[in-house]
Amino acid sequence: MALSKEERCRELARLVGIPLIEGEVAEVAERFESLMHELERLTQLDLAYIQPVLVFPEEEV
Amino acid sequence: MTRHDIPWLSAAETAVAIKTKQVSPVEVVQAYLARIEQCDGQLHAYITVMRDEALAAARQAEQTVLRGGDVGPLFGVPVAVKDQFWTRGILTTNGSRVYRDFVPDADATVITRLQQAGTVLLGKLNLSELAMGGTQEPPWGIPRNPWDLERTPGESSSGSGVALAAHLCAASVGEDTGGSGRGPASYCSAVGLRPTFTRVSRYGMTPMCWYLDTAAPMTKTVQDCALILGAIAGYDPRDPFTSRRPVPDYTARFGCGLRGVRVGLIRELDEDAGMHPEVKQAIHNAVEVIQQQGAEVREISIPLVAMAGAIFVGVADTEGAGARDDILRTRAAELDRASRTRLQAAALVPAKVYNRALKARVLLRQQFLEALRQVDVLVSATAPAPPPKHTALTAPFVNADDVRSRFFFRRAYTGCYALTALPAISLPCGFTTDNLPIGLQLGAGPFAEELLLGVAHAYEQATSWHTRRAPGIQRSEGRD
Repeated sequence: MALSKEERCRELARLVGIPLIEGEVAEVAERFESLMHELERLTQLDLAYIQPVLVFPEEEV
Repeated sequence: MTRHDIPWLSAAETAVAIKTKQVSPVEVVQAYLARIEQCDGQLHAYITVMRDEALAAARQAEQTVLRGGDVGPLFGVPVAVKDQFWTRGILTTNGSRVYRDFVPDADATVITRLQQAGTVLLGKLNLSELAMGGTQEPPWGIPRNPWDLERTPGESSSGSGVALAAHLCAASVGEDTGGSGRGPASYCSAVGLRPTFTRVSRYGMTPMCWYLDTAAPMTKTVQDCALILGAIAGYDPRDPFTSRRPVPDYTARFGCGLRGVRVGLIRELDEDAGMHPEVKQAIHNAVEVIQQQGAEVREISIPLVAMAGAIFVGVADTEGAGARDDILRTRAAELDRASRTRLQAAALVPAKVYNRALKARVLLRQQFLEALRQVDVLVSATAPAPPPKHTALTAPFVNADDVRSRFFFRRAYTGCYALTALPAISLPCGFTTDNLPIGLQLGAGPFAEELLLGVAHAYEQATSWHTRRAPGIQRSEGRD
């Protein structure tokens, strides 16, 4: 059976060791679902050959 | 000149007035302290006013002037900084109850360099909690936008924007992770610069997202912005990422005109259906002024910029949650509800999704650099709409669409330069019919701040937006 948004959020938080306040679980779940939904749009991009870079080297310019 | 005139001067004008002995550094600091006392109870720009320290520094500066000592272009100028910069022996709250007792034992490099330039530190300015934005109940009061007290001054360098608009300091240094300096500058009709990442040391600046944070000069004029950047930029062994490039004279291009400068209006932001019509019109008017100055203007496409808000949050919030893991595990109850739920949600993002955002960031940088091979300067609005009301900004999110429209949409405009590590500046370019400020954003290639400031200065000098004063905070001649 599929988990609800709140149940999914609670389970993920348990796994990463982040305690949630019960009255705020729905808000965290909305934020998380929205974040994941927005980031899902990035799967449309061809990123196969791109290396992640944290600080761009000056030589590149 | 009377003491009532002093707070209305720019930083550069203040320094000249001190150098030419029209006013003394002590008179300048006293004038600002009086103004802070008069206005800040309502505006909440400051968290800590360093009255005694500022007066002591001003007395010392006065001796230097009387001795005929060497005084530079910022000598004696009262500045205030976002309360995210460490100040030795002075409370540094980061806008959070978590840090309510944090007194650093060292100064941030930015503080040291401001002092070396001869400025006088007036105090520490209010900010959104942990430099994030969206704080519902700021522990040191809600910073009020002097242009409309019911509206936000922008986030997260809120106090810097307020202090400049209300003339409670001559210049400020805020911080910009994804628009935290440029946003408040736009909403408060001030100038805000995000320098190239690595241009200014981040030592002693509490991180929000280590790979995106930069110090951000915030000022009343473009000239002041150039002077402040010149004072704080440069290599610092305590921040190994800082560039070893020499620091140029950032005013070098002032007065050179714009002939030959290629300017590109970013199509995807200009055609954004969510942009407020008066903001769009103001940007088009500004582009026309830039063109009249001799620049070649064209439209330019950066397809991925529309996704910059999502990429930014994917990188910055996930990094931010990781950096604050200890707080989330043990002190989350001390955080404001908005900060807590935002960080908690970001802490749940899987590594593969974060990795995808990091890769998209590189692709975005490639597209920006490609655009910057075709033009020298990029143009857009700093924010798609005028400052919203506090209540609209801090209300809890009701559903995913609400999160999307209020959280992701506006972040594309400023977040794109943070993600690509490129410099960008916001400066006043108009007002709505409700007298709310509108900001013009200019961006350029890596380390092209000199060009950026030159173009911004040419635009500023051709317009008068920066001279308009916020209502309700006019000078009060009768009070001493």
